[in-house]
Amino acid sequence: MSYQFQNITVLIVEDNQPMLELARALMTAFGVKNVMGAKHGEEGFKKFCEHNPDIIIADWMMKPMDGISLAHRIRNDPASPNKFVPFVLMTGFSEKRRVMQARDAGVTEFLVKPFTARDLYRRLYQIIERPRQFVRSEDFFGPDRRRKGAAGYQGHLRRNTDVQPDDYYVNVDSDKRI
Amino acid sequence: MNDRQHFSQKPRRNAEFIKPPNMLKTKVGSGGLSDDILNKAENLLENNTVDFQPLAEMYLAGLMKGIDLAKESDPNDDQEYVISRMLYPGMQLKANGGMFHYPLVTRIADKLIQFLEVIERVDIEVVEIVMAFHTTIRAVVMGRVSGDGGKHGTELMRALNEACVRYFDKYQGKSL
Repeated sequence: MSYQFQNITVLIVEDNQPMLELARALMTAFGVKNVMGAKHGEEGFKKFCEHNPDIIIADWMMKPMDGISLAHRIRNDPASPNKFVPFVLMTGFSEKRRVMQARDAGVTEFLVKPFTARDLYRRLYQIIERPRQFVRSEDFFGPDRRRKGAAGYQGHLRRNTDVQPDDYYVNVDSDKRI
Repeated sequence: MNDRQHFSQKPRRNAEFIKPPNMLKTKVGSGGLSDDILNKAENLLENNTVDFQPLAEMYLAGLMKGIDLAKESDPNDDQEYVISRMLYPGMQLKANGGMFHYPLVTRIADKLIQFLEVIERVDIEVVEIVMAFHTTIRAVVMGRVSGDGGKHGTELMRALNEACVRYFDKYQGKSL
């Protein structure tokens, strides 16, 4: 038994047409039957509202609306049909401050370009098997930004909701089939 | 601060935690994807026939516009904006080079990004360094150097890295 990706719809938002086609081909190779494309954030938001896809994969740098603004709008716009939708941001940036900027906009997973098919699959695996809880505060709504942090912690767990690090983290690189 | 004091603190702000239903899991089920599927997807990436040259030329033209803007800028201009006009096309070169069989472009552009992410102001020496990156990436693309460039590629990387290191040693006392 493997993932039944034919049951989901994916929206890819990318202004670089060859990259859009490549990402679309990868999703098709994974088994996704319904892959939609959009050329920028505005078109992406429109298609998101019309079709309510299960996953969004978006580039960062686009005009007139970039991927960060799209993520923020999806999380906060009253017209958004699903504020919890998993959002994977693709970008050439990998510096910590960029990752934090994306995280603060409500991005679920960060995928650095260039990437391999397995890199993309690992992000999908994370959002399927280890979805983040959401946080609503005075100035933020989006996936909990604290997924990391407990690895190596040796002390007592204080809350019922605390999770053992060994249970929480899976070395996906070492698994042949994840 | 002891535990009692720690857990008696007033919350800094109110936050609500929500666990949305995992509809995605419900739809796709379990079992992951097999190695066979993943290998096919990797092959698809490795064998894509997209011609990177037109894309690269577009991003190189954008980088050159950024360099021109930097040349004409003065210290009172918004330096972050001026740097971003070179950084963004550089990021596109880094992102797309490796996707379309030009890993050397990705390596060089990555070094350019590291440089531009650290500098705080633009001057003539910054312009000259970015220009050297532009010239090198253009030569790689025009020469259709689609692998890692071998020994020549390593030498190009070393020369560009040394230019950055010299800049930081001279002006900021730190290296990349």
